[in-house]
Amino acid sequence: MTLIADRPGPGAARPYRFPPVVRRAAGGGQVVAAHLPGQNLAVALLLLDAGAGRELTGKEGLGGVLAKALEEGTAQRDATAYALAIEALGTELVTGLDWDSFQISVQVPVDRLTAAVQLLAEAVRTPRLDPADVRRVRDDEATALRMDWANPGPRADAALRADLFGADTRWGRPMYGDPDSVAALDVEDITVFHSEWFLRPGTLIVAGDLDRIDLDALAGAAFAGTGGGPAERGGPIEVPLHTNRRIILVDRPGSVQSTLRLGHPSPHRAHPDHVPMTLAGTVLGGAFTSRLNHLIREVRGYTYGIRGEFASSRRFGRFAVSSGVQTAVTAPALVEAVGEITRTQAGGVTEDELAVARSWRAGQLSVELQSPRAIASALTTLVVHDLPDDYHARLREELLTADVDQVSAAAATHLHPEALTLVIEGDAAVIRNDLEAAALGDLLP
Amino acid sequence: MPDSGYPWPIETSRLDNGLRVVVSEDRTAPAVAVNLWYDVGSRHEPAGQTGFAHLFEHLMFEGSVNVAKTEHMKLIQGSGGSLNATTNPDRTNYFETVPAEHLELALWLEADRMGGLVPALTQETLDNQRDVVKNERRQRYENVPYGDAWLRLLPLLYPPGHPYHHSTIGSMADLNAADLATFQAFHETYYAPNNAVLTVVGDAPAAEVFALAEKYFGALPARDDIPPAPDGRSVPATGEPAVEIVTADVPAPRVYIAHRGHPFGSPGYDVLTVLATVLGSGRGSRLYQRLADGERIAQPDLVGAYGVDLAHAPAPLIATATARPGISGERLAEGLAEVVDELATVPVTAAELDRAKALLSTAWWRQMSTVDGRADTLGRYTTQFGDPARAADRLPAWLAVTAEQIAETAAEVLGAADRVTLTYLPEETA
Repeated sequence: MTLIADRPGPGAARPYRFPPVVRRAAGGGQVVAAHLPGQNLAVALLLLDAGAGRELTGKEGLGGVLAKALEEGTAQRDATAYALAIEALGTELVTGLDWDSFQISVQVPVDRLTAAVQLLAEAVRTPRLDPADVRRVRDDEATALRMDWANPGPRADAALRADLFGADTRWGRPMYGDPDSVAALDVEDITVFHSEWFLRPGTLIVAGDLDRIDLDALAGAAFAGTGGGPAERGGPIEVPLHTNRRIILVDRPGSVQSTLRLGHPSPHRAHPDHVPMTLAGTVLGGAFTSRLNHLIREVRGYTYGIRGEFASSRRFGRFAVSSGVQTAVTAPALVEAVGEITRTQAGGVTEDELAVARSWRAGQLSVELQSPRAIASALTTLVVHDLPDDYHARLREELLTADVDQVSAAAATHLHPEALTLVIEGDAAVIRNDLEAAALGDLLP
Repeated sequence: MPDSGYPWPIETSRLDNGLRVVVSEDRTAPAVAVNLWYDVGSRHEPAGQTGFAHLFEHLMFEGSVNVAKTEHMKLIQGSGGSLNATTNPDRTNYFETVPAEHLELALWLEADRMGGLVPALTQETLDNQRDVVKNERRQRYENVPYGDAWLRLLPLLYPPGHPYHHSTIGSMADLNAADLATFQAFHETYYAPNNAVLTVVGDAPAAEVFALAEKYFGALPARDDIPPAPDGRSVPATGEPAVEIVTADVPAPRVYIAHRGHPFGSPGYDVLTVLATVLGSGRGSRLYQRLADGERIAQPDLVGAYGVDLAHAPAPLIATATARPGISGERLAEGLAEVVDELATVPVTAAELDRAKALLSTAWWRQMSTVDGRADTLGRYTTQFGDPARAADRLPAWLAVTAEQIAETAAEVLGAADRVTLTYLPEETA
């Protein structure tokens, strides 16, 4: 035999340390930076309290339109000149939006960071927002969403969200809006939102070789001309569970797969069970080796992949499972998925499974936090959720010490298989009878 | 800006069985990337066996002599690692990044599936992963608008019999016909140590990696008669433009223009890389400025141009745009072709060139900013050009490209007579 049969054990563990974090008040705002010695690339990210949660009901998608409109010219230069100036530094303006924050960032070789942040600030603080440009950007965004919604997924996501949170609330509507909500925005919606939320200083996140970066100069550029303090952010939102399981069928004629979205509300990010919930979600559906992926992909061959996890923002959360399964096996795949969620809620996790989940989640902290972009993203977590500098070290410890009882208790408390909403986007004519026969819940009209 | 695109140490070794081992030590973080490039891809597949190299990649996660089905994933994730594998026309790569103390485990796992896959391969596993791959095909190519564009472009670009004529995902009919013996033979033929490159980047000294490589891979037998893929270096020009119009369930007209350029790694491909960035990357690109912003016939987020970095034949260069509401596919195709044609006639300005080079510099350093990004790059250069150190040349080569070279290369390979145009049109909604 030419192979070595004995599996080697680990060598001496070398501790992972999150890079040193620097927090500084400068230029009228807050800077939070991580030192990455020797790194050629640097990221600067302006974090604003202007996430989708700040949009009013009926104005969904406003942030996405504003993000694009920022690049349609500034007080100093037109759109083309702006594009050429920032791209000549080697970066594009990257915008991101979630429920809790709006993020605008640049990624450049470190010696160009100050110039890039100056241009970033120029767009954020002094955009031209010419009404004709804003209307055009709005129409383009509505079209872009319409094109995106032609893919399987967005309609199912929207149906699930509306059923969990109620379509009369902002958080019951799609985070990026839908084609109609965006098309209905007017210029004033955009300009008012900008004045209200984009002229407050916010927080400048920096990840790079701080020996080659002048943080005060960056802060001066990022916060020039800003004013206004932090706004009240609101507490967690109570979301009631449904009393019975519900099924929503979204028709997609001719579809060769059914897109599945299963979910129910779950706790917000600061809930004390956050870590055991994360681990319970990992065992059930959060990793390739999870129960759901093992059963539905590796044993049954129904899908290319299936995932399920708890996700949370400052004010609310949800547990959701997503997959695409071959049309013919839609009903059996749902029966098996609901069965696995039920089994996990009732019986908890095993030490064998938990060992993989906790090592994986802890190890990912060293394996995935390498690039300046990843480090900047980790810093935004600290800021958005008011976490301390040693958060990643503590998190690692909490992950590694969570035991079977804690994680099983979190599964028992926070999984609600009887309250799931099952959304199926597929060929209704082909799958409706099977879904009714499977008797998994009430099929909503 | 450094003169080299790879300012880290590189050490190489070759085991007696031909396995090339590349190590680049970097102790910044306690993580290590392990990467194997096997010099086999869909270009090696004969007619009737399309999709086999990729389906085989799936089977490599399903157990080997000392590793039970799905245990590979469990052991890597249970060590805190990330892992995956990909297949393309040229090659198949397998990679994991793990906390540094688990390096030996990763090497043991890779050796076990390089040397001991066949005895563990069962009909049940093959049937299961065949179903998974067919679902992958449905999910990625069949169930999404425009999802089959790549499957349609390849046969328009490369004639029957050419190694790039068929797609890596393969056909449903071939996947259905796949039998166990073919896969056993596939492994025995191609998964030999002398057909692979092992690269380790990160928190591990070279001497330790070389010793571990010898320990786990050293006794695996070489195979001396690995059949080459068909030669595809020369693709005769047809002199006839290829045009395909597809009416499908899509939300708007979309056009792809494709040309056969130069192979990845050649000076011509470097020119085309800069050319594609000038043409289609960012809001300052010609396609954005002309079609999205200027004439406003294209959706702003959906214009682009890129090379597909294949090394064994003239590689595709693709430009694409999607129509704004009210714009016909014909109008869009004309507009797109006009901007592509002008690369040969309207000289690239210094500002355009600087912009493209700056964006490419950032893209290069982004790839280099992780140990896994570096490992895959070194594995590629060793496999395709015989020397990992040549990775350092790519960025300087891009930075040396001139406007004259772009115009010459555009005139040489982007001619209208040698063009593939694929247009999607929405079905009539009566």
